[in-house]
Amino acid sequence: MKLLGKDISASQLLQQISQRLAARGLEAPDEGPIRMDGAEPRVDPLAFNLDALAEHSDPTRALPLETHRGGVTGRAVVLAKWAFRKSCQIFINEALGRQQVFNGHVRDSYAQLSAEVKRLRSRVEELEAPAPAPRPVSPPKSKRPARKG
Amino acid sequence: MEVHQLIANFAPGDAMGQAAVNLQALLRRLGHFGELYAGEVAPGFGSLVKPAAQLHPTRDALVLYHHGIASEWAGRLLHFDCRRGVVFHNVTPARFYAGTRLEEALRSGRSQLTALAEGMSLSIGVSALNAIELREAGHRNVQLVPLFVEPHRFDPEQIDLVMKRELKVGAPLVLSVSRVVPHKRVEDLLSLHAELLRIRPTARLVVIGGYAAGQRAFRQLAARAEELGRVDFLGKVSHGELVAAYRGADVYVSMSEHEGFGVPLVEAMAADLPVLAFGAASVPWTMGGTGIVFDTKHFAALAELVVAVTEDDGIRRDLIEGQQRRLAELSAGASEAALAQALATLPPSKEVRRAPRAKQQVRKTPRVAIVVQRFGPQITGGAEAHARQLALKLSPHADLTILTTCAEDHLTWANTLPEGIEDDGPLTVHRFATEAPRQMRGFNRLSDAVLGHGNDRVTEEHWLAEQGPRVPDLLAYLASNRAQYDAFIFFTYLYTPTAWGVPLVADKALVVPTAHDEPPFRFDVFSDVFERPRALLCNSPEEQQLIQQRHPQAVRTRIVGVGVEPPRTLDPKGFAQKHGIRGPYLLYVGRQEAGKGLKELLKHHRALVNDFHDAPTLVLAGGGTLELEGERVRTLGRISEEDKWNGLAGALAAVAPSRFESLSLLALEAFAVGTPLLANADSSVLAGHVERSGAGATWHSTSSYLEAVRIVGEGSFREQALKYSRAFRWPKVVAAFRAEIARIQRDHAS
Repeated sequence: MKLLGKDISASQLLQQISQRLAARGLEAPDEGPIRMDGAEPRVDPLAFNLDALAEHSDPTRALPLETHRGGVTGRAVVLAKWAFRKSCQIFINEALGRQQVFNGHVRDSYAQLSAEVKRLRSRVEELEAPAPAPRPVSPPKSKRPARKG
Repeated sequence: MEVHQLIANFAPGDAMGQAAVNLQALLRRLGHFGELYAGEVAPGFGSLVKPAAQLHPTRDALVLYHHGIASEWAGRLLHFDCRRGVVFHNVTPARFYAGTRLEEALRSGRSQLTALAEGMSLSIGVSALNAIELREAGHRNVQLVPLFVEPHRFDPEQIDLVMKRELKVGAPLVLSVSRVVPHKRVEDLLSLHAELLRIRPTARLVVIGGYAAGQRAFRQLAARAEELGRVDFLGKVSHGELVAAYRGADVYVSMSEHEGFGVPLVEAMAADLPVLAFGAASVPWTMGGTGIVFDTKHFAALAELVVAVTEDDGIRRDLIEGQQRRLAELSAGASEAALAQALATLPPSKEVRRAPRAKQQVRKTPRVAIVVQRFGPQITGGAEAHARQLALKLSPHADLTILTTCAEDHLTWANTLPEGIEDDGPLTVHRFATEAPRQMRGFNRLSDAVLGHGNDRVTEEHWLAEQGPRVPDLLAYLASNRAQYDAFIFFTYLYTPTAWGVPLVADKALVVPTAHDEPPFRFDVFSDVFERPRALLCNSPEEQQLIQQRHPQAVRTRIVGVGVEPPRTLDPKGFAQKHGIRGPYLLYVGRQEAGKGLKELLKHHRALVNDFHDAPTLVLAGGGTLELEGERVRTLGRISEEDKWNGLAGALAAVAPSRFESLSLLALEAFAVGTPLLANADSSVLAGHVERSGAGATWHSTSSYLEAVRIVGEGSFREQALKYSRAFRWPKVVAAFRAEIARIQRDHAS
């Protein structure tokens, strides 16, 4: 455990704490390396959107059961939602059949368009890249004039 | 440059909305007009934040979009044909919400951050970590503009006393302020509390912030809290209650495993509360080496740490002192400087590139704008009449334009006059339409809820927006025509044209505050009016003193007042005959509204009439909605200027019953015709007039009213009144304004 703070004597404070813990028969915290989270990784929007469209293209698949209500009402709401899904799935499938087909087309169109965006981006990068400097051309080796005679 | 802000949802108490409102204040201070827009606006907040569908920026405008969790507005922003910027508040890592509906929206928020990169002229991180993540996502012009907290909003005077009493039970009191959601790790707070109870059985844990009572996770937390005891989930609280909690707690603990900034950490610093925080994401940067940041959740050790911090005065004092240093680094001033630097990185707009540079030279006849909420000869309000009189007297010495609204009624602000430019004698009047009429019933309800105690900035800005008059075109005109004028004279601190207009042109602004001690005067949202212009031109020593007490940081103040010029000939008998008034009378001239103290005056006068058969008649002149009737009470409705002067000349005394006065033109006009003043002693300004002039008497109760009437009835005050009124002459007033305008001109030329 590490304590950070300019206005404290961290080692002295940790020592005090360790002594108090020891007096209570408890183990002091380990002095491991400082663990701090860094920046989160970048998410590529084209890939993410395609995954998300694929994941959610089937509208008949339910989202996790949730409610913001508490107590008995909340439990009743969750139970009602669960019962509705169980008993009416066949009708849900029927009602959302065309939506499912439409979503599939959206997903596939996005896949084609995003592939095209990638291709165009790399083409733009190629065109915008500075042209390689022309190689210095070495002068042709002059042939010594043949001596006459 | 217009800088508008766009957020997905606006709701009071929401950190992003709060940040947008704070940023708007900074933008105004930097001279940029702009409005707030949101995809969804909480009911009742339409005056402060407009629906995003109404956002139609010009090509030169900048739209700053506040980004966090996924929003459709991230994509739509890219389609605005203007300069675009993003303010990144960070996105909670989706791993904390695996298997919930939120997981997707969080991952999507990250994806949108990358997608925005190419289309942004400016990308602002509100903490160092956010700036790093913006760069990682491919943003190029990344700037760090930290969020800020206004420390005085956490002063002890802001405390809600009921909450203070409730929190007195239990020590040490550990406080944490955050929504009860997975990444805030409230379960870790409970584990700490369990350890703390072992060594300090009277310890108490208070968690402030919203929660979904129906969620299984919360039910589990509540059950664990119940089992441990001495834990309170207080949910959302008012600002006063929040300050009471910060001020009443012994230590602030954050177990959160992700913070984009961590506003409550800084709020705790502002309330002199030592902070212990787990060093996740932006937390170490926000703490800036102050407080105590820990990297391991060893709860027994942390409980000992809580005891050390709460019981060792030395440690506690050092921590608080250190936190004050960090607080100064995260001040509004520091954020304003960072924002100015960030905006300076934008390429100049086409408009700026086209415009020739104006030469800085002193014009012989200065160009001056007078900004006032209503204007015209028919407007009876004191400040408005004052503004018009000044304008007419100043017009021979300045090229004057009046910037005002189309409203005549100060209650509804309804647009009853034509928009555009018109002439009023020698004056040019530029009228701007008000955005919407004021709904008085709703406004009064809001006023009852917010006046008289501490509030956050959002609440005060909301009240001000409802107060109005909202004239965005006037504010946009001020921002874009700043260079065209040498000076701006603002009248009355209380309304939006002044409160939001002064910061836009502060270095050329003179303010006639007409301030008096009324509840809104204590709102911090008005501090820019008193602390940013070039000078405050007060009407009385009492007003000057009041401002200096409330705003120790106020700019230079000067008592200027007004001039009073009675007509050369007066016909008091003609007035009495015209209105059928017999015998001596007391005269009130002004609006007949609830806030003017007329009901109390009537009560006192009724007692006078009951006790004395020769009591003078109380004559009430002026428009209004109050029904004022009684024995020896006459109401005349609105009267002409001529009638007013004649009436004052013949009156036993002029009556000024209002508690809220910054000058009282009526008093000065009465003195100018040799008539004494009968005044409410609760108004320090009126009492000051009576005391300095020696011409009149004051009351504070029915018995003292009777005595005051006797004094003015028996005494002779004519000479004292006339002598006092000689101090209020227009040449002196005009000279003072001209000197202030010349001073601004000189400073801008040099």
